[in-house]
Amino acid sequence: MSAGGVAIWAYSELETAANETAFVANELANATGGTATVIEVDKPRTGVAAARKLVLRAPGPIGDSPQLVAGAIHAAAQARAGGAAPSLVVVGGTRKGKETAARLAVKLNSGCMSDVFGLTLSETGDELRGSRNIYAGKFLASVACRLPAIASLKTGMTALPETSGSQAGAVEVFDVGELASKVKVLSKNPKPASRVDLRGAKVIVSAGRGVKKKEDLSLVEGLAGALGGVLGCSRPISSDLGWLPEEHHIGLTGLAVHPDLYLAVGISGQLQHIAGIKDSKVIASINTDKDAPIFQASDYGVVGDLYKVIPELRKLLGSAGSAR
Amino acid sequence: MKIAVCVKHAVDETELRADGSGKPVLKGAATKMSTFDKNAVEEGLRIRSRSAPGSEMVVFTVGPSDAKKTIREAVAMGADRAVLVVSEAAERDAFVTAYLLAKALGASGTFDLILCAEGSSDTYDVQVPAMLGELLSLPYVGYASRIDVEGTNVKVLETYEESAQTVEAPMPLVVSVQSEINEPRYPTLVQIMQASKKPIQELTPSQLADAAELKKRLEIRDTSVQSMNRKKVVYDGAPVETAQKLLNALRAEGVISR
Repeated sequence: MSAGGVAIWAYSELETAANETAFVANELANATGGTATVIEVDKPRTGVAAARKLVLRAPGPIGDSPQLVAGAIHAAAQARAGGAAPSLVVVGGTRKGKETAARLAVKLNSGCMSDVFGLTLSETGDELRGSRNIYAGKFLASVACRLPAIASLKTGMTALPETSGSQAGAVEVFDVGELASKVKVLSKNPKPASRVDLRGAKVIVSAGRGVKKKEDLSLVEGLAGALGGVLGCSRPISSDLGWLPEEHHIGLTGLAVHPDLYLAVGISGQLQHIAGIKDSKVIASINTDKDAPIFQASDYGVVGDLYKVIPELRKLLGSAGSAR
Repeated sequence: MKIAVCVKHAVDETELRADGSGKPVLKGAATKMSTFDKNAVEEGLRIRSRSAPGSEMVVFTVGPSDAKKTIREAVAMGADRAVLVVSEAAERDAFVTAYLLAKALGASGTFDLILCAEGSSDTYDVQVPAMLGELLSLPYVGYASRIDVEGTNVKVLETYEESAQTVEAPMPLVVSVQSEINEPRYPTLVQIMQASKKPIQELTPSQLADAAELKKRLEIRDTSVQSMNRKKVVYDGAPVETAQKLLNALRAEGVISR
C-alpha cells in the first residue's frame, strides 16, 4: 500500500453495530497510518460517533436495503468520494449487513469475510486477517484476504469505550445518483414498540422445546424478569412454533449473544444453539434429560423439570428481593 | 417455469471431530446436504407443483465427486435433473463457488427462479446467494420465510432480526430461504432407488471459466477446535435443593444481583 495508508470505510444500518464498525475501522487506521470514515446513508445519525463521516445521498431515500446501500457505497468508491476509494469496508454483521458485504465484494472485485472478529492488518498493510466461527462454532478459523477487502463484523464482539456518542467531526456529503431496483417493498411489518435488545442484555433466560405450551412461556419470562433479564428462545420456539418473534431467536441463524448470565430452560443444546451463546460469561441450564448436550456447554446445570425448578427459583428470588 | 436450486455438499458439523492437535479431521469426515438447503429443495418442489405442466426443477452443486450423494438426495426428493461442477472445497471460497454456479446456470439454460438457502450449515459464510444475484445481474431477495409466485412476479416475505417486509420482484430472480419456510420431505426408499438412475451432468471448472477468474480471495490459514471451557457442574436432586444451589453458584459468580 502507499505511504498514505489504507482508506477504511465503516457502515451499519444498526446504530450499535455502526459504532462497533467505526471503532474497529479507527483501530485499524491508527495501527497502519490510514484513515477511517463512517458511511451514513440519507443523513448522519447523532448516535454514531466518528471523526469523519461520508453521507451518501440519492434522489430518493436509500434506507437500509442492502441492494441500494451496496449500490451507493459502490458509486461512492468508484468516484473516490471523500478523497480515496476504500481498500477495506467494514460492515456490521447483521443479516442485511452480510448481504451488503457480499454484494459489495462482487461490485468492488474484493475478497469478503463474514462474521469476523479480531480484525488486524498485516505489517505490510496489504492483508486483512480475522477469526470466525465455523462448523456451528465447534471450530475457529483464522482467515486472511488481500486488500481490497470487505468484512462483515460479528456483532457484539467489540468492547466500545464509554463515549457520549456526540463526537462532532467532519461531515462530507456525496450524491450517488439514481439507484435502480426491481425489488418493490409492498409492506413493512412495523417493529413492536417494546423491542427486546438481546445483544446488549446482561442476563438472558431462554426457553426451548421443554416448554410445553405457549402460555407457559410466561413462567420463563417471569424468571427472566426476577433475574433482571430478558427472554430469549431457541429456534423451534420462534421459527417452527411461532410462539415468539424472530428477535428472540438465539443461535447460528438467529442472534449471537454475550450476556453475563445465559440461562437455558428446556433447551437441549444443539450445536446451532450453542453457536449463539458460547461467548456468554456464565452459562446455566435447566433440563429434565441429564444427558442433554446443553450440560456439556454449561457452567452450572440443574437436572430437573422446569415446571418444578422455576417456581422454587422464584420463591428464593422473591424472599431475597423482599429482604432488600 | 424453470427452477434452479443450488445446494452444498457439506461437512456434517455434528459429526466432525478434532485430532490430537485440535485440527478438524476432514479426511473421511461425514458429509450431508447442507441442512438449510433441504428447505430450498422443498420450496422449489412446492413451487413446481403449483406451476404449469412441463415445469422443471434442476439442482446445481459445486463440490467434489462425493457431492453426488447430496445430489441424489435432492433428486430423490423430486428434482428432475442435476448439474455437478466438480471442484474440491480447498480450491474455492464463497466467491469462486458463486462464480462457478453463475457460469453453470448460464450454460444450462434460462431459469425463472434460482433458489438457495440463506447459508450453509458447515461454514455459514452467507455470501453465495447475494453474490449469485450480483454476478447474474438479477434481483436478489434474501431470508425468505414465504414465497408466492404470482404471474411473472414473485412475492417474498423477507425476515430480518428485528423486522420483516413483503417485497415483490419480477422473474428471473435469486431468492434465499430460511429454514422456517417449510418442512422438508423425506424421500421414500423407492424414490431413493430411482434417483440413482437419473443422470447427473458433470462439468469441470475449466469448461466454465479461465483459471484467472477462479482465484480464491479468502484463505483459511488455520482451523482449531474451540474448547468448551465450561465448569460443567451439574446439580441433580430435589428442585428445592437444586434451585438453591444454582442461585448460590450464580451469586458467587456475581452475574445476578439478587
